[in-house]
Amino acid sequence: MKINQLLIATFVGAQFTVTALAGDATTNSTEAAEIEVLKQEIQKLDQKVSEIETQHQAQQPVADSADKQQIQDLDQKVRILSRERELDQDAAATAAKSAPKITLGSGGFGFSSSDSNFVATIHGLIQVDSRTFSQDNHIQGNDSILLRRARPIITGTVYHDFDFNFTPEFGNGTPGAASAATTPSIYDAYINYHYSPWFQIEAGKFKPPVGLEYLQSDTYTLFNERSLVTDLIPGRDVGFELHGDIVGGVVSYAVGIFNGVGDGQKNTSNIGFQNDREFDGRLFLQPFKATSIAALQNFGFGVGGSWGSSSITNTLDLPNTTGGSNPGFYTDGQQQFFAYRSGIVAANSHWRLSPQAYYYYGPLSLLAEYAISDQQVSTNGLTHSADLQNTAWEISGGWVLTGEDATFNGVTPRHVFDPRNGGWGALQVVARYAELNVDKAAFPLFADPTASASGAQAWSLGLNWYLNKNIRVNASYSHTTFTGGGAASATTAPASVSSHPEDVFFTRVQLSF
Amino acid sequence: MKIFLKILLASSLAISASAKEIKLLNVSYDPTRELYTEYNAAFAKYWKAKSGDDVSISQSHGGSGKQAQSVIAGLEADVVTLALSYDIDAISQQAKILPADWQKRLPNNSTPYTSTIVFLVRKGNPKGIKDWDDLVKKDVSVVVPNPKTSGGARWAYLAAYAYALETYGHDDAKAKNYITKLYKNVPILDSGARGSTITFAQRGIGDVLLAWENEAHLALKEFGDDKFEIVTPPLSILAEPPVAVVDKNAKRHGTMEVATAYLNYLYSDEGQEIAAKNFYRPRNQDIAAKYAANFTQLKLVTVDQEFGGWTKAQATHFADGGVFDQIYQP
Repeated sequence: MKINQLLIATFVGAQFTVTALAGDATTNSTEAAEIEVLKQEIQKLDQKVSEIETQHQAQQPVADSADKQQIQDLDQKVRILSRERELDQDAAATAAKSAPKITLGSGGFGFSSSDSNFVATIHGLIQVDSRTFSQDNHIQGNDSILLRRARPIITGTVYHDFDFNFTPEFGNGTPGAASAATTPSIYDAYINYHYSPWFQIEAGKFKPPVGLEYLQSDTYTLFNERSLVTDLIPGRDVGFELHGDIVGGVVSYAVGIFNGVGDGQKNTSNIGFQNDREFDGRLFLQPFKATSIAALQNFGFGVGGSWGSSSITNTLDLPNTTGGSNPGFYTDGQQQFFAYRSGIVAANSHWRLSPQAYYYYGPLSLLAEYAISDQQVSTNGLTHSADLQNTAWEISGGWVLTGEDATFNGVTPRHVFDPRNGGWGALQVVARYAELNVDKAAFPLFADPTASASGAQAWSLGLNWYLNKNIRVNASYSHTTFTGGGAASATTAPASVSSHPEDVFFTRVQLSF
Repeated sequence: MKIFLKILLASSLAISASAKEIKLLNVSYDPTRELYTEYNAAFAKYWKAKSGDDVSISQSHGGSGKQAQSVIAGLEADVVTLALSYDIDAISQQAKILPADWQKRLPNNSTPYTSTIVFLVRKGNPKGIKDWDDLVKKDVSVVVPNPKTSGGARWAYLAAYAYALETYGHDDAKAKNYITKLYKNVPILDSGARGSTITFAQRGIGDVLLAWENEAHLALKEFGDDKFEIVTPPLSILAEPPVAVVDKNAKRHGTMEVATAYLNYLYSDEGQEIAAKNFYRPRNQDIAAKYAANFTQLKLVTVDQEFGGWTKAQATHFADGGVFDQIYQP
């Protein structure tokens, strides 16, 4: 429109210029004709300008539409690129999920496949102990600072359902057994097929399912050494076991067949020594575990037992003879106070029964266990035989002074030891009383009444300091008295030990992960 | 002794008084989240009333093919509710954790509900998309998941292919040409149906989404019918998503009974009604009639009719080197 007006103005101006040039001359036909021509020119130009404007207006929407389409196309491309990046990130996150995992923490150092079907975890246990005896009739070698346990432990799973455990022992090992004391040996080596929580099959070397205190991990026992009850319980052995937890652990069962070991002993040679086998089993109930009654959820009770028969006589099955390959019965201070006479052998049946219970609620822990071991013994050559019933019981308890929950699997401090920030860990006081009574019929034919005690009674008090989940420091005191036993002048166990009460002060520094 | 017996009796009572808590894992495909969230609550209530036991059902969702591979690799599904029978066949054949004839164990070939593939377009349908031939126009951008990983995508691919076969007198070369053009218009392939819905509805990509019918309705509910509309083509495919108990897993978990009941209950009136409310076409004719307004009538072809069954369709179109690999260039 502006162009049009400009052109008209230009030509109108030209008209007046022409007129002015004509001066005041009288209008004549020539001028009129010229003006008419100019008018026509102006009209033509006006028409041309209008046409140009029309064309311009017609072309403008086409250009706008093309721009808009181009912008939309670019917008889609940007959105697609953005979405592709998003999908790539999702794919990367998914790929990360399928990558193997490495975990480092208080529970050990672990490696696992992304689907957890293959897992390997390295654990460790180191216990540095001291035992200090008082008034021990100058027995040599019992006061000691010792490496009680030193175990690298590898656990894991292959193909989702097959668990394994391999635990060698490089520490002090079997208490009192000279042959095993300094020799590295295999403590646990087993494969466990884990079909479901209630149906599992285990094969290898592990703890037979009999004693409650013995089944508690070495890491979590209240005192440095287990009580007199464990003297009558079978130790680690090689065999097969069917076991499981039903209804989330309300009922736990285990039945197994093992080579068979003597009371308080373990299978150090990883092989059987007779044709007959021992059958072990245990049933343990936690009836309130699945209920909402918090005070009873961790109350459990049950019974363990074993039965075996020796068709031939043997000595390996029997705690016998001072300095023999198998220890006799041991005190808290790991001193032998009872042994059968040299040449006495186990013969025919041997059964054990062990009612047991525990209770954990808040900082309180209680554990009680009774054991009876019925052992048929004979003199060498089978001239004389007897059916001996040795019994033992214990009750132990603890209270966490700092208020944390006590469990069968230890105490987790609420505030780990970190004095710079006011953390001091958890403190627990512990106490225990235990007795072991040897069948009176063992004396004098099968055991020497002047050397071996017929009974032992022990009480213990202690303080456990859990610095964190991995480090624990213990101190405890044990006092053991004996019924019967050796002469005061005796210089070798068991007579030397049982001739006077045993008083021991223990300490322990423990690392477990 | 009496005290011991009393404790034992009290323990037994405590054990018997505590109801069982059963856990099930349902491994499903992408768009069934809402369906099974509602259905699981209904089934748990039903099972509690019937048995007194509490059952809690976990859901796992993803592209149907990927989900099947996860179960084969060890994901311990008690039941699978996947997009197509081929994926459950793959579990049966490769992992051998359910029998080969699993599809005969429940009515309607173990398919308690059906669905189909429809078009979700932007409000006003600016590209004027009405039928399958509109999808191959040069200016149309199509969003659909990857048929290698998504069951829904395989149904969509076969629906488009079936349209081409019907249109071009079952000339396979022409059908292949059509499907090539269609996938040239696909700018991005998600791994599952839910991902494609996000691409189309939330990320604003494309002009049309090839979607499960229920997924399209859920998109309208979620994002608003002022933004999108559903176009139902005159012809599509009868999608039959099957269900099955994974026997070995269920037996191992001790959940065989409840897993079987879980799938059977899908055929109950309540199960069928929940399916219909979630825009799955129910098998029960009475309930289908009740919800008829939710489902536009159209010609539905089947995989058996057009492609000779899933095994053949899979081998021809989706196996490595198959038709899809030949025609799709990312």
